[in-house]
Amino acid sequence: MTSALFLAESVVAVPVLAAAGTAVIPARMVQRIAVLGMALTAGLALAFSAVVLRVPNQPAAGSWIALDALGAILVPVIGVVGLASVMLSASYLRTSTTSVVGPQRRERIYYVVLLVFIATLLAVPIAGNLAMAWLLIEATTATSALLVGFSGRPRALEAGWKYLILTSLGLGVALLGLGLLAGGLPGDGWAGLSWHHLGHYAGGHNEALVAYVLVLVGLAAKVGWAPVHNWLPDAHSEAPPPVSALLSAALLPAVLVVAWRVERAIGPAVGPRSAHRILIVFGLASLAVAVPFLWQSLAWKRLLAYSSLEHMGVLALGIGFGSPLALAGVAVHIVGHALAKSLGFYASTPLLVHDPRCAGHAPSGIGRSAPGLGTAMGVSLGALAGLPPSPLFVSEVMILAGGYGSGHAWAATAAAALLALGFLGLAHALLEMLAGKSRRRTTAHPVGLGAVVALSVGASGLLLGLTAVAFSLPGSALVSALVRGAS
Amino acid sequence: MNGPAVWALVVLGLGVVVVRRRSTAVGLVTAQALVLVGVALSRARTGNDVLAAAALAVRAVAFAGLLMFLVSRTRELRPVRAKVAAPVRAGLALGFALALTWLVPISPAADHYAHQGVLALVAFGVSTVATRRATLFHVLGIVLVENGLALAALTLHGGSSLEIELGVTLDLTLLTLVASVFHQRIFAEFGAGDAGALRSLRD
Repeated sequence: MTSALFLAESVVAVPVLAAAGTAVIPARMVQRIAVLGMALTAGLALAFSAVVLRVPNQPAAGSWIALDALGAILVPVIGVVGLASVMLSASYLRTSTTSVVGPQRRERIYYVVLLVFIATLLAVPIAGNLAMAWLLIEATTATSALLVGFSGRPRALEAGWKYLILTSLGLGVALLGLGLLAGGLPGDGWAGLSWHHLGHYAGGHNEALVAYVLVLVGLAAKVGWAPVHNWLPDAHSEAPPPVSALLSAALLPAVLVVAWRVERAIGPAVGPRSAHRILIVFGLASLAVAVPFLWQSLAWKRLLAYSSLEHMGVLALGIGFGSPLALAGVAVHIVGHALAKSLGFYASTPLLVHDPRCAGHAPSGIGRSAPGLGTAMGVSLGALAGLPPSPLFVSEVMILAGGYGSGHAWAATAAAALLALGFLGLAHALLEMLAGKSRRRTTAHPVGLGAVVALSVGASGLLLGLTAVAFSLPGSALVSALVRGAS
Repeated sequence: MNGPAVWALVVLGLGVVVVRRRSTAVGLVTAQALVLVGVALSRARTGNDVLAAAALAVRAVAFAGLLMFLVSRTRELRPVRAKVAAPVRAGLALGFALALTWLVPISPAADHYAHQGVLALVAFGVSTVATRRATLFHVLGIVLVENGLALAALTLHGGSSLEIELGVTLDLTLLTLVASVFHQRIFAEFGAGDAGALRSLRD
């Protein structure tokens, strides 16, 4: 595990060093250093995953770093999406004219904050201590709020402000839960909140339940689970597209992984049925809130934001069902959602150049007026809708089947109905986007279109590969490692 | 833990809920943080405990400076009116605090006074954010919650750890810095630090 430990430390250290580098080097080299740093980080993240997954059933949980299957799934996702976001940021910075900082320092500050945000994100799934994970999640709020409001436009400021205040307050509530948990642990106080120690919680059942609810409600505010999701559609739709991709594909699942670990560690003290039921309620509530919006004619990024709410609900259900099949579905869903959603957000930069009206209106007829762009958006939306052979179709079937298998038939049935309704809403949006009536467009060449089309080809291959992998996942060592956890 | 210190923290917190002027509220939150420093020093047993108390002191002074700087940079012609009148705000905050005290069980090892003080401060912070429109009061609400949690950390069985105390201080400082950037930009864009003006994002 020494090499995995080294890789875990390096994967966080490299983007921090890249951020420090971009802060001091000449302005013309800022973008190149950021891309180079993130390329190295993505490589290290993939290597970390390969090393940990080589023996997925032997997790190592220390006081501060946890090396387990959950981290091995999420770290490469964050690394790869982070690399793509940094690479596509140049297109965003070229097309956007406003920012909260002066034009001289705009690019440098953007990359420094983005790299620090990615570094903190990478640290969250490998944090071996709940208090440390909380600190890191709080740190992601500070950096990402700045990025959400980076354009300085009134709507972006509103979105950034809501995000900052609501998630900080939520995390404050989670910290209260942490305090209660620490009170029930023998000896070490806050420092004793390692995943391993949490399994030895010795307080009463009621104390454990209240602490669990407080931690979960606080984290839900950051994951974007309904009913504490209000910031999510605004922040995702107003942030720069590369940041929206990171928020949806990396930040939400990273915090979700922490909630998952809390459930595994505290579940026995709370009572596994209660612990699971709370997650199922969050999952169903998120689906119920998201689906009506998926039927509305929304602007592209706002539609993707509500789709994030839906998919975080699906993940909560999978963890709540808790069966090996459902957890295998969760693993596939995290990766598939990240690939499809980030592609959708990246497509919004050329989309807004191609049709500026799409900032406030649903896209229509893009498949006819810009086939390359339409294809990228189609791949993203088709996959997110769960259109076969999307891996999200397979993962949703696995999660629902896992729900039935674990005795949650009512919840699985309700979820299936809501997912079917969500599918119809997104399918309508997909048809309208591809073959609807074309509106007047600017003649400007969509900046970054080539990169997005190339990404859509790569993402399509990865999504199909993931579908194939999904079928072989149930019963694998990875799934038994997910069931067993780091503790 | 001694009752007067907890009472002082709670009364100062309730003051933030009801006062009208931002500068007065900043003073109250700073006084609260300094009381916490006193509590931390009185309970310090090791060098690390003293360092954790020092981190709290630095945070208190730094926030006071930053928040007063913000108040001076964003002078309002008249205070932004809250959504709810002061007596109602106080009633809501106290009701919420009592509800929390009733809902959250106290562990046998915990300090009774401190436990109730922590819950009251968290309730007052949430109430401040929910009932005030001035953006600076939103920041103060979060600081109020964090002060409550600092009290929880100090009075825990096993005490706080230096790493966590420094981490929370760093995080909160970062958050406050980012919030101050937003507050200034909102003031510049809308002519007032009024969250009521932030209503354009609706579906």
